[in-house]
Amino acid sequence: MKKSNTRVSALALAILPFTAIQANELNPNVSVVLDGFYKQNHTALSNRDEGFGLGHTELSLSSPIDDLFEGRLTAVLENHEGETELELEEAFLQTTGMPYNLSVRGGRFLSQVGYLNSRHLHEDDFVERPAAYRALLGTHYFDDGLRLNLLLPTPFYWQIGAEAFDGGGLSEGDEDIGVYTVNTRLGGDISRSQSWQAGLSYLRNRQIHGDHGDEHGDEHEGEHDEQGHGGHGAEYTGENLYMADLVWKWAPAGNNRQQQLTLSGEYLYVDELGEYATSSDKHEGWYASAVYQFAPQWSAGVRYGQVDLKEAHGDHFDDQRLKETDVMLAWSHSHFSTVRLQYTHQEATGFEKADNTVMLQYVMSFGAHGAHGF
Amino acid sequence: MDFKQPLAGLMLGLVMMPAQAALNVFACEPEWAYLVRALVPDADIHTATTAEQDPHYIEARPSLISAMRRADLAVCTGAALEAGWLPALISRASNRNVQPGKPGLFFASEQVRLHQPHDHVDRSMGDVHPEGDPHIHLDPDRVANVITALADRLSGMYPEQQSDFKRRLLQWQVAWNIQQARWRQSAKRLDNLEVVVQHTSFGYLLRWLGIESVADLEPKPGLPPSAGHLNEIMQQMKDQPADLILVASYQDQRPAKWLASQTGIPAVVVPGTVLGDQKPGSLGELITVIVDQLERHRRTPDV
Repeated sequence: MKKSNTRVSALALAILPFTAIQANELNPNVSVVLDGFYKQNHTALSNRDEGFGLGHTELSLSSPIDDLFEGRLTAVLENHEGETELELEEAFLQTTGMPYNLSVRGGRFLSQVGYLNSRHLHEDDFVERPAAYRALLGTHYFDDGLRLNLLLPTPFYWQIGAEAFDGGGLSEGDEDIGVYTVNTRLGGDISRSQSWQAGLSYLRNRQIHGDHGDEHGDEHEGEHDEQGHGGHGAEYTGENLYMADLVWKWAPAGNNRQQQLTLSGEYLYVDELGEYATSSDKHEGWYASAVYQFAPQWSAGVRYGQVDLKEAHGDHFDDQRLKETDVMLAWSHSHFSTVRLQYTHQEATGFEKADNTVMLQYVMSFGAHGAHGF
Repeated sequence: MDFKQPLAGLMLGLVMMPAQAALNVFACEPEWAYLVRALVPDADIHTATTAEQDPHYIEARPSLISAMRRADLAVCTGAALEAGWLPALISRASNRNVQPGKPGLFFASEQVRLHQPHDHVDRSMGDVHPEGDPHIHLDPDRVANVITALADRLSGMYPEQQSDFKRRLLQWQVAWNIQQARWRQSAKRLDNLEVVVQHTSFGYLLRWLGIESVADLEPKPGLPPSAGHLNEIMQQMKDQPADLILVASYQDQRPAKWLASQTGIPAVVVPGTVLGDQKPGSLGELITVIVDQLERHRRTPDV
């Protein structure tokens, strides 16, 4: 009797590796995120088409590799105009055994510039990233490269980091190291109920060349078409991207299970836009968001953001401006299921399809319980 | 000792430095900070959560990353209690001493057998931990096992202080056994007490005392009490009233108070764990507080 039981459970393990994740510690953590939506109208600078659609469907595997490395693989399925695209968003290893609180990450991963960029999209409080992120970072910038992070031995939290990337994830070009970033992040608690974090980042895009007017026949206006492949790559680029971010959170007695207020904001500035740009041409954007989780299962939020852009047209630039206000209400039945209702108001100059829209979105996850950062 | 020669004294001092530097400990919950302090009174301990915070839902915020960065030893519950934040903390702190599989990461739940481990779980059951119920810190027997294992772990890491750890463990065990004898006496009087709970926060202690949890305000583990579920419990209580409703201070107290107002069954709020700087500051005091509350709400007091 006992023997047949063992056989049955061995069979179950073989057939259902995904449901018996915890039973065998050698299996990696598997998690799936389902993201679907209904959108009333088309909006400017958006990855989500009107009507019913799927957003960022994600399959993620992570595990310690041995006592020195851990790894993660995240595949994303996205739907664009009827075609399903499979994209590898993360495939990286990270060291766990380096001295002096150093860590090295290599492979494909989300750049840690800014506050939102290194977070997974399903952790966001609104259906889409702010307009500035959609225009300047292709929603979220990930690429193949190497990162070095160091936590400084200070009594408060202070991290400095540097990344080098291929650069193909942001714009086309033939530099071997197309993009590098440096960034720093500070943070701490103000009291038992309040905490904060601030960051500064610089991203250098070496694929954009500012040597004014030299090579004419270059297909530089191609920048704008890049949205075509994969839905990634930034539509608006420049040699230098500067970012500043600030986050403040409040929860009574620090118990964020019951209530939590999150205020966050970021500022992005891009200059040296390319060969036809003058020194005064720049992209600039910011957003500020307030999200209040007023009960364990409910949160409401409002976000305002705007972005001023220069759209490349051959040898000249056109001014564009998008102002966006989002209001959302989200219900999370459990830690793993969220249904969100959002209204977005767009005011645009130089965009054809700007509109107001209502969106209904679900984000559901199953499998391993993901650990989320601040 | 006689340090007539200042140089020799200085040399000896330098040699002893590593052993003298205070042990830096990151405790995920206050109960483990208390156990560490019992074994290493001069340890520099950073406690990540308080009795007012639900340990399932903390965020890996900057101050915690900073504390984890400095730690020689992290003492946590494990069994996925901290799954929502501890892995992110460990990864961001990049502290080579505190990593899965290293002696510097101590999980209390790995030192004992857990109640109700599951071969198969899915989330339709609620936030059930497949490893078993992780809320072991109020179980008189399991806590004793945990501190013994912790003393072993510390002795392995700092063999030169082994005798100190052993001596303090023994002192703690003696005091604990005396208290345990008292709780056993109470358990006899509490034999047929019926309690309504919220989550399994006090499950191990109630079972140890032989008390039955007749209803849980949470419809499924980890889900907040819903109106429909509370109504069901209200009906159940009208047919067969329990003696009291027991909730932890970090939990939302409105459902318990509502049920109390509807049924007349007293709602009792006790700290879910030790309070750092005020009473109950030790697990023994906390268990005594809870046992006293239970005794106070017996329906048929002894004559």
